[in-house]
Amino acid sequence: MKISFHINNQPQTITIEDQNTPLLWVVRDLLDLKGTKFGCGKAACGACTLHVEGQAVRSCSFPVHLVEGKKVTTIEGLGTPEDPHPVQQAWIEEIVPQCGYCQPGFMMATAALLEEIPNPTDDDIDNNIINVCRCATYYRMRKAIHRAASIKNDSTTNSVNS
Amino acid sequence: MSDEKRAKKKLSRRKFLVRGGLGTLGVLAVGTYLFRNPIRRSLADFANTVETPYLGDTKTPSIWFEVLNDNSVILYSPKVEMGQGTFTGLAQIAADELEIDIDQIKVVNSPSISGNMDDFGTGGSTSISSLWQPLRELAATTREMIKNEAAKKLGVEVATLSVANGIISSDGKTMSYAEVVDGVKEWKVPKTPALREIKSYKFVGKPIPRVDLKAKVFGEHIFGMDASMPDMLFGAVVRPSEIGAIFEDADIAEAEKMPGVIKVVKEKDFVGVVANSRMEAENAKHAIKTTWKTDKVWQTKDIEDMIKVGQGTPITIQKEGNAKSILEDDQDKITAEYHSPLGAHAQLEPNGAVAYVEEDKATVMISTQVVKITRDEIAKRIGVSKDKVNVIPTFLGGGFGRRLHTPNGIQAAVLSKAVGKPVKCFLDRKEEFQHDTFRPPTHHVLKAKLRENGMIEAIEHNVSSGDVAFGSPLLPGIAPALMGADLGAWRGGMINYSAIPNYRAVSWRVKLPFATSWWRSLGLLANTFAIESFMDELAEKAGKDPVQYRLDQIGDDERGFRLKEVIKAAAEKAGYKDKAENGRAMGFACSVDVNTPCAQVVEVSIENEKIKVHKVTCAMDPGLVVNPDQVRAQCEGAIIMGMSASMYERMYVEDGQLRPIIYGPYRMALMRHAPKEIDVVLLQNSETPGGVGEPPLGPIGAAVANAVYRLTGQRLRSMPLEAS
Amino acid sequence: MKRKDLPLLILIFLVIGFVFSTSYSKSIDSSYSLVEINKNVISNKENFTKIMSVLTHERCLNCHPNDNIPKQGDDGHPHYFGMMRGKDDHGFEATKCSTCHQAENNKYSGVPGAPHWGLAPASMGWQGLTHKEIARSLIDKSKNGNRSHEDLVRHLTEDKLVLWAWEPGVDAEGNTRKVPPVSKEEFGTAVKQWFEDGAIIPEE
Repeated sequence: MKISFHINNQPQTITIEDQNTPLLWVVRDLLDLKGTKFGCGKAACGACTLHVEGQAVRSCSFPVHLVEGKKVTTIEGLGTPEDPHPVQQAWIEEIVPQCGYCQPGFMMATAALLEEIPNPTDDDIDNNIINVCRCATYYRMRKAIHRAASIKNDSTTNSVNS
Repeated sequence: MSDEKRAKKKLSRRKFLVRGGLGTLGVLAVGTYLFRNPIRRSLADFANTVETPYLGDTKTPSIWFEVLNDNSVILYSPKVEMGQGTFTGLAQIAADELEIDIDQIKVVNSPSISGNMDDFGTGGSTSISSLWQPLRELAATTREMIKNEAAKKLGVEVATLSVANGIISSDGKTMSYAEVVDGVKEWKVPKTPALREIKSYKFVGKPIPRVDLKAKVFGEHIFGMDASMPDMLFGAVVRPSEIGAIFEDADIAEAEKMPGVIKVVKEKDFVGVVANSRMEAENAKHAIKTTWKTDKVWQTKDIEDMIKVGQGTPITIQKEGNAKSILEDDQDKITAEYHSPLGAHAQLEPNGAVAYVEEDKATVMISTQVVKITRDEIAKRIGVSKDKVNVIPTFLGGGFGRRLHTPNGIQAAVLSKAVGKPVKCFLDRKEEFQHDTFRPPTHHVLKAKLRENGMIEAIEHNVSSGDVAFGSPLLPGIAPALMGADLGAWRGGMINYSAIPNYRAVSWRVKLPFATSWWRSLGLLANTFAIESFMDELAEKAGKDPVQYRLDQIGDDERGFRLKEVIKAAAEKAGYKDKAENGRAMGFACSVDVNTPCAQVVEVSIENEKIKVHKVTCAMDPGLVVNPDQVRAQCEGAIIMGMSASMYERMYVEDGQLRPIIYGPYRMALMRHAPKEIDVVLLQNSETPGGVGEPPLGPIGAAVANAVYRLTGQRLRSMPLEAS
Repeated sequence: MKRKDLPLLILIFLVIGFVFSTSYSKSIDSSYSLVEINKNVISNKENFTKIMSVLTHERCLNCHPNDNIPKQGDDGHPHYFGMMRGKDDHGFEATKCSTCHQAENNKYSGVPGAPHWGLAPASMGWQGLTHKEIARSLIDKSKNGNRSHEDLVRHLTEDKLVLWAWEPGVDAEGNTRKVPPVSKEEFGTAVKQWFEDGAIIPEE
């Protein structure tokens, strides 16, 4: 079947036999956007987190047919080295990643969190950021999430002022 | 470093080769029974203190460095990057001796075909420490080679040249490294030049941001899981769920008819499928009806019954004085037993590979910690000579010892050979959990006799553990016979309190029915949990402050001095108190691993009947610190990973299967469990860099248990630690 | 009277009220013969039992917690990763039920799904309640989201999230989840009859 959607602001139409194929594999193997990771395939680790219509979704458990007509954002579309998303900027400033494999999922979950709660408390972070990081970079991630919130709020204030 | 010191360093390496070389010891080991144990003990003691040397090429700059047209330099690293920050440290070390800017160096994995491989692999917290000297020498030699050539091209004496940021200047004339290198056909390797003064280094010792930071923040395709080749197909391999299951046969008729299937491949030891997409391969895999032969249906109790001090053969790994007879004679001796559970690596990137086997050569992209072993095993299986197999290591989505065993590379190669195209093949998460090479469960028996003044007269640690090093392709098959005790299992199992007159450590080997192997820090976490919990118990019996009690029983040699310094630093920085206050209590523990002493103070409370760790203070002395930010990062990560293993994780065996098979049921530390404060104090009481990645994992379990005892009066002697 | 006794008192009144109303309604309906009344009573009990066997089954009860923690599996263990009700019964602000659960089951991940996947409102926390207590909460408009009997029949027989119980898909290991002990059709018939009969909560 044919499925049309937007990915990282680009229109995209794919043809796929099994409409239940997880969005993860479409994004990774068909569209070659491999920043979204496979960790468990059971929606348990969060490494495959991306956004569908701005909402955090675990793409290993999201059949591709459900993205018909929707907007998908992956880590590649979150920001670029030239124009990083506040979450990515904070991740760089706090030097968060170790092995790095789970980090895109964490950053996507964090970006979604900041849309809902611009200034998350530690409890908000504990509740909403429940991905798994085996290098256990949680300590720096928490700092980076607070920093991302402040970068994002600053830029919002600036753009309002200017 | 002065010539004298360098000479000493070289001497000690030669000494290692003589003393540590298994061949040499093999001759000695044939001696009489009388000699066997002392030899083993001296080997154990030696392996516990010696710094593992680098076991690869250290003489050929051309396989290490490449100068590009834009005047940047590529460093081909034989050590892989699995999060430990090695690429960054190596970049700093090389840039300083190459006299280029840190932004001018790019570290990439060295493919096996280049010949720049390390016999040891990446692990054991040795990457920076073992390459510190050879890499500086290689980089300095490379710099001198370029300078010599520049002198020729510029028509000046080498002595007139000055270098900065990869630009060579002399008398107003300048030339970049790239310009110098351009067109040179033959290079002469000069004698190793004198190294720069350490204090003149621009990057070593500074908190340089990770060199792989941007790649990891913007989602670049750097992991084995991201690897691809043109015309690539997808494979899947059927793996048994039951412990000890041996492949017998498979009915592949249905799978062959599944959509997208190219070929079902039946081998003597496994069956797999190749299809057009990953999901098609996975779907077809589940349609294969496989028969396995299983001798026994294992249960957790079977494993628990095996891991018991007193069963199997004991090997004394440490002996000072007469601990054995003193404790045998003492009716009032203090004893305590401790347990640690079976643990999984649970790294996020599943194991797999992309392999392309052509007629007489093969290319394999893979997350591996042992490039050479991976290559040799693949070459053997597919019948291609080793030098025609190019293993290209990728960034690792977590290592922790999980990628020291890479049958996944062989399987991908076999599938590729069967279809004549590149095949990408990965384990699913259930297979990752059930086919892990686990951290073995342990049982510890501690015994001690106190003198009237409360000080320890004699102490003994007995540990029973599944294999760690034995059975690993990293150790030659002769090792178990030679060494008796598994050097991985007893890591951290020795008594560090060298002022005690009589101490002894004994290792009991158990061969479990599934693979147990290297897991970040090996036996360190469990052994330290046992010994350091016991030390607190003894301090209480003696009525002493637990920190002072430890300090008073450590010897005054260099090792003892460095350990005492971290103990004092941690206790002071944390403001260690022996009494619980406001519902919180502190716990202390320390350990020495790969010559790096580490001490930690934790602060805990009990919330909703669960242990909550609020703050961890960590003092560590890894010697010279190449990158203080990354050493801190390793401490922070190791502390939380150690908490996870000590407080939450446990694999069990049910009806022949290793379980759980998924994150969640396999409980691990999440954001909400991470301490809000981690305070790292770094001491540098050694002139050379030591191990960093594993040592800070040692004390955390014991420190938490000791804190909980102070808070609740409940002594937790089994991991995972749970307040009840 | 102590304040904490109030719920108990209300409960007693309610029970007395129910008993009175049922016997009263039967006694004034002269069209039923004695035999038919008995048959009705039995079938009412049967219907009630059938309905309760479904409502107390893990497939239903797991999302009717009384501690704001969703449950999972046939053993009803707390949902992993600390997921909770959140402000609107659909999880936390950014990590919601729908982060993992979609409008349909996922056969690859084994994650169950149905439209508007989420917890029943806190007022409908049934875990640990007796059948009678569940039934009372079910028909209590102050607890059931102001649903009339007709609304409830529709909800119980047509809502895709409720009907998911009979098509619960496979779990993370590919094993089919257990379904309630009576079929969807039997349940539907029982629900309709029970409400037609006046939603009478039988005595034990």
